[in-house]
Formats: sequence, structure tokens, C-alpha cells
Amino acid sequence: MQLNINGQRHDIPADWQQDTLLAVLREHLGLVGAKLGCGVGLCGACTVLVDGEPQRSCLLPLPVVAGRAVTTLEGLSPPGAATLHPVQQAWLDEAVPQCGYCQSGQILTAVALLRRVPKPDAAQVDAAFDGQLCRCGTQQRIRRAVQRAAGGGA
Amino acid sequence: MMRRRTWLAAAAGLTVTFTAGCALPVIPKRPKPQAEDALSWIRHADGRYTLYVPRAELGQNILTALKQVACDELGIDWAQLDARLPATTDVAPVRGTVGSESIKDFALPLAQACATLREALAAGQRQGVIAAKPLPPEALRSLRGMGPYVGRPVPLEQAPAIVRGQPLYASDVRRPGMVYGRVLRDPASPELPSRLQAMDEAAARAVPGFVALVRDPLLRQGESEGIGIVVSTPGALDRVEAALAVRWQVDGSFAQADIDALLDIDARLAREGSLGRQLEDGRIAPGTAWDVDLRFDIPLAAHAPLETRAAVAEFAPDGLLRLWVGTQDLFYVRDVVAKRLDLDPARVQVQAQRVGGAFGGKTICTVEMEAAVLARAVRAPVKLQWTRAQEFLFAFHRPPSSHRLRVALKDGRLHTWWHAQASSHILFTNAVLPPWLQRLANLVGDDGVARGAVPPYRAPVRRVELDVIRLPVLTGPWRGLGAGPNGFAIECTMDECARRAGADPLRFRLDHVQDPRLARVLQRVAEACAWDAPRPAAPPDLRRGRGLACGIYKGNSYVAVVADVEVQRDGSVRLTQLWCAHDAGRLVNPDQVRAQCEGNLVWGIGMVFSDRLPVADGRVAAASFADAPIPRMSEVPPMQVLLVDSGDAPGGAGETAIVAAGAAVANALREATGVRLQRLPLQPAALAAKDE
Repeated sequence: MQLNINGQRHDIPADWQQDTLLAVLREHLGLVGAKLGCGVGLCGACTVLVDGEPQRSCLLPLPVVAGRAVTTLEGLSPPGAATLHPVQQAWLDEAVPQCGYCQSGQILTAVALLRRVPKPDAAQVDAAFDGQLCRCGTQQRIRRAVQRAAGGGA
Repeated sequence: MMRRRTWLAAAAGLTVTFTAGCALPVIPKRPKPQAEDALSWIRHADGRYTLYVPRAELGQNILTALKQVACDELGIDWAQLDARLPATTDVAPVRGTVGSESIKDFALPLAQACATLREALAAGQRQGVIAAKPLPPEALRSLRGMGPYVGRPVPLEQAPAIVRGQPLYASDVRRPGMVYGRVLRDPASPELPSRLQAMDEAAARAVPGFVALVRDPLLRQGESEGIGIVVSTPGALDRVEAALAVRWQVDGSFAQADIDALLDIDARLAREGSLGRQLEDGRIAPGTAWDVDLRFDIPLAAHAPLETRAAVAEFAPDGLLRLWVGTQDLFYVRDVVAKRLDLDPARVQVQAQRVGGAFGGKTICTVEMEAAVLARAVRAPVKLQWTRAQEFLFAFHRPPSSHRLRVALKDGRLHTWWHAQASSHILFTNAVLPPWLQRLANLVGDDGVARGAVPPYRAPVRRVELDVIRLPVLTGPWRGLGAGPNGFAIECTMDECARRAGADPLRFRLDHVQDPRLARVLQRVAEACAWDAPRPAAPPDLRRGRGLACGIYKGNSYVAVVADVEVQRDGSVRLTQLWCAHDAGRLVNPDQVRAQCEGNLVWGIGMVFSDRLPVADGRVAAASFADAPIPRMSEVPPMQVLLVDSGDAPGGAGETAIVAAGAAVANALREATGVRLQRLPLQPAALAAKDE
């Protein structure tokens, strides 16, 4: 079985093929950006993009994503690149992270939203992020970072 | 055998002496750090500096703040210093990261150590150990704000790694040959004895990925027997657990009603007259007529950090145990694991990782012990991360509490203030202490339950008393300890007193406030929200309200919060705006103090609208966020935070605003609807318009 992760093909050995996409990303491939927060698709910490759409990787069996383009946080800007993806940069500029554990899912949710709606209004932002839990309370900064990345400034 | 002495509470002057051999849990208690300790935090070699940050990084971004202090005191550039999370072998033992102390108690010794190092380097010394000088804050350039970093915006440490998805957390650690573990238990509360009755070991062994089944008495948690499973990929954990089909035998049960009955403050007062501990011992005159008489019931609640607790354990060939952990108390984990596995603490190397949220809930040793036992059994590195369901079932939680507040006014002012409370333990958590030791601890009194219970208001007669009761659910420290629930009860009561007195809630508070710093944040928040300006009338189908609350945290940090709400006819609520004025003394990193205020405001929202763990059938009856929700983006209104830098000594910022945030919302709901919220969390039907 082959997976297409961040533009690279990976052969997945048989003993990992029964695991979720999240487990394979984190534990087999070492792409630990996506996080385990609940395991049942209710918190959004494990969000990745599958063909550009945000999906809960803790619920995705490998056959569902075989042959489709999976993007993780690590895929937004190449390792060692001098510049970050505009959404990643906005997250730094607005000093969004507290504990940071949910932020991979938040950032990828923002990337997907801005591809679909380049200039989202407040209600569209809230709707896109309502399933992305953050216990530290960074919601206000996430809103600002999304608007900054959308070109609306802080 | 050596005698072991432990201070339970040095301030109360009680020394408890135990002889080796009794089942004494390890009590985390270490003194305030001194400049001498701080020398182990800062190193210099070849023009570069390393700061081993002696605090857990929980998202308060303390790596950044202490780096600001160190760079300014050393007089070096940001890029010359690496701020690292230490292992227990890197620094002198240091107390846990609790109680919003990391700037208040650690900035000064760090600055002293850095000043000493700077002077030694300037004098040409390059090697050896130097004696730290305990210089006063006035002599330290960092704390006087004379450098380029303290008090100014700086990039957040580890934030680039967070936005790139690089490994930072215990759950991100991977080791060669690593396998995955889980400890199975009956879902009953660990306060109820439970044990293995039957299991299908052959079926488990047949599951692809099965590695081992581990039976070890050290996997017991409380009264709950644990069975370890180890597998080769995480996905096999669920499959092996299902195949094993363990049946458990449990002794006893309890229901929500049992907990409610144990805590019922009115029944307790009727039965006992006065409670076990008086924080203020004013005498209530017989026949006092009460102007305000309110009962508040606050439920069990989860910390719910997004990272469920995790650890990786690995024994080196020479017997050294290495642990990678996401804990608030590195040395406590080391001491517990060393004691229980009978290892020399120097041979247990516990490496701190960034913690994916903690909020008081990651202060004891759980997954670290489980991972170490499994790693010892299978002779391979083991990663163990609790499921969300395990977090709800086996972690300790905010204790439920029951409060009765009665106030008599005289000439429009507070005269007699009486607050009686029943709660389960916080500092003397039943997740660590057996019943006999908890009873002994009760002689000292649980200052966690007491935190924030004495109101910041003048009244001729004040009586504040509490009982602390062991419950069959696990309870312990939760952001702000007792100060959140106590602040809620006090500030809601104060609001009713102002109404009863026919006074403006702001002026009524200012008339009774004892501390000028509290008065100042009240005035600042009132200015920010234009408290005195007329507000537009609500449309006919909408009810609007504005609420105010304030408080002091641990005597060193001050907050006032205003909330605006809109309530629909069906009782559904929208928060429209929050304002917060906060004074935590001198600020090292104002933006991250602001972030802590924002977080506490969201916790106040959670306290009012969602925080509650249901209990049934002898256990916490929650398996996922569907059963125990936390605030969502759409519930969080725009928030404005004003920082008041009073120039006073640094206080704490991580738990202050929670003392006022929930009550400000509840007081706004009261103004909008006339309904006083007395049982948390809010049930929207309670606010439905009466004619519906």
C-alpha cells in the first residue's frame, strides 16, 4: 500500500496497514505535527488535509486515503525553508500558541478555509473552527491570525 | 532503616514523622528556589549560554519569559542563549510548576545567578563553580527593565517548532524499537476496589501486533487493579483490548445523588451547626435577618487539556531508566518512580517535554509509572498515552462543592457576611493520599479548598468556614484551585447585595474594597466598557445584560471583568463582549500575561456554560468531549484585556482572571433575565422567557 504524504510516496508495510492515518503519520513516518486529542473525531487536533479538505486523521483507515494527496503541517513549508506558509507566519505574528498542542489542526483548518473563502467574515471563521477545540483559550488570536493571513491585517 | 521526615505544611508548623516501611506516598514539597539553586539553571561555554528552564512549559510560555530575564541580566543577545527544558540530571531539584509562581518566585533567583555569572565572566573566570550573590531586585538590571527584552515583545520560544510540527511533546518522542502500552482497568472510580475476574489471554495473543501481557502489582492505581498490554503499533491496542475481553469484579458503587448528599451544605449546617475549619470566625448574632441568602452548587469538572497524558520509558543496558514526560512536577515523578521501582533516584533520568495543557491536572505520577513498569517487563522502550476516556475515568478533577452564602446589610452596606462550604480535597488529593493520611492532613486544613474564600470586602462580621470530605471520585488541583468556585460564589453574592441595597454594582464594590490595587482594576475595567454610559435598548425579542465581578488571587494579583450578554426568548445565550483589567505587578512578558487573561476568560465561560463531569454507576460517566464539552470558538466573544502595571513586585498571572470571569457572566445573565444562576453549569431552559 502506498500513501502520498506532502507530495512524497511512502510504502506502508503490512504490519502498519491496520492502523489509522494518524498513527501511521506520527509513529511510523515520524510526522508528529498532527496530534491525538480524543481518538473519536471530536477535537480536531489530528486534522490533516486530504485532497485539500480538512479531515480527522484519527478516524481515517489507510485504504480510504491510499492514492489521495495528504497534507500535514510539515508539508506547508519545506524543511529548512527560510519562509513559512503565510498561515504559519500569521500564527507567529499573532503569538497564537499557548500549549500549542491543538495548533496543527487549527493551522490546517485555516489553510483549507482560506483556499475556499479567501476573505472570510467573522461568522465564516467561527463556523470553520467550531469543531477545533482549544482548551488554553487561543480562539481570539486564531481569529486574528486567520484575518492577518487573509490579508486583512491584524 | 533510615527515618523519613516529611513536612506536610511548613507554615502550619506541623511535622509528621514516619518510619520507613509504612505506605507513605511521596509528598512533593520543596522550598522556594534560591540564587544558589539557580546557578544550576544557567551555563556558559565558548561564548554561548544554556538556560535549563526550571519550570514546566505548559503554554504559559515561561521558556520565553525566563529567557528575557536571563538575556537582560547577562547582557547578551537573544540568539546567544538556548532555553531548554531540563532533565532531572541537569538541574538541582526544584518544586513543581503550580500556583502561578514561575515569575513571582523564579525570576529573582535566576536574575541573581545570571548577574553572578556575568560578573565572574567579566573578571576573567571561565571554569569552575561560582557562589551566587543574593542581590536585591533594585540591583538587577533585568528586573528594573533596563535591558532590551524584559517588558518588550519578543518571539515565543518553540513557537516556530509548533507551527512547523516538530517534535516537542512527550507524545511526540520516538525511540528505536519502541512499542506501545496501555493499562486496562475497570471503568469504576479507583476509589472502588476492582480486580480481574476473567480474560481471554489466548485470543489476545492471537491478535497481530501483540507483544506482551503484563501483570504487576505496581500497575494498581488506588484500589483499581491494572493489567498491562504491550503491542507493536498503536492500532493494535484497541484490538488486543477487545480480544482480551477482561471481566472485572468491583466492590460497591455510588451515584451522583450520593455525592450530592455528602456535600449538601444546608444538610451539613443543619446537622453540625458549625463546620470543621473557620477561615474567618466572626460570630453570627442569633436571629440575624438575611438580606441575601444564596446556595451555589458547582460540579465535578475535567481539566481537559488537549494532550492526554503521555510518557515514554526506556531502560538503558546499564540499568539507567530514562523517562520523557509531560508533567508539572519533574522531580516528583522521579521520586515516585524511583521509590516504587526501588531505584536510586540518580539512576532515573526524567526529561521534561513541552506539555500540551495541564491546568493543575498533571501534578501527580500516573502514565510515567505505567510506562516504566511496562518497559521493565518487555525490555524495550514503551510509549503510553492515556485515551480521552481514561482521562475522564482515572485522572483527578475539580472537586464538586456546595456553598451557602448569607449576608445581612446595614444602612446599605455589608454588615454580616457568612460563607459556608463543603468540598472534597484539592491539595491533599485522594488520587495520592490514602484515607488515614488524608484525615491527618485535615488537621492542617486543605488550603486549596480555602483559596480565595475570604472575600476582599470589609464587613463588621465575617464568618468563612468549610468542611472537606473525601468523595468516591478523584479530585485535586484545577486551575485556580478553590479560587474559581469561591470567586464565583462571592461575586454573585456581592452582586445580589448591591441589588438589595439599591446600589450600582461597581460603586457598591468600591465602597467595600480594602485593597487599592483591586479598586484600580475595577476603575480601569469600568472606563474600558464605559460603565456609566447609557446602553442602547434591546429589541423586543432580546434581553441584554451587563455584569461585573472582581477578585484577588493569592494576595498578589488583581482582576476585574465585565461581561455583556444577549438572551433569546428560548433562553439561549450569546456573550457579546468581555473586558478584563489585570494587575499582576511588574510584567516580564506583557503579551503572554494578556494571553493568560484571555485563557482564563475562556475558562470562566466554560465554568458557566459547560464544565461538568457526569457521575453514574460508581464512575465518571463520560467517554468523550460529547459527554464533557469545553468552550467552542463560537462561544468565545471578543475580549479586551487591559494590563495595569502597578510597579509592584511580580505576582501570578496564570489563574487570576478565572476568579472573576464566571461571575461576571452570571451577573450579566442576572441583569438580563432576573434569574440568579445557582447550579452550574447553566441549563438554557432556566433562562427561557416566562411567557414562553
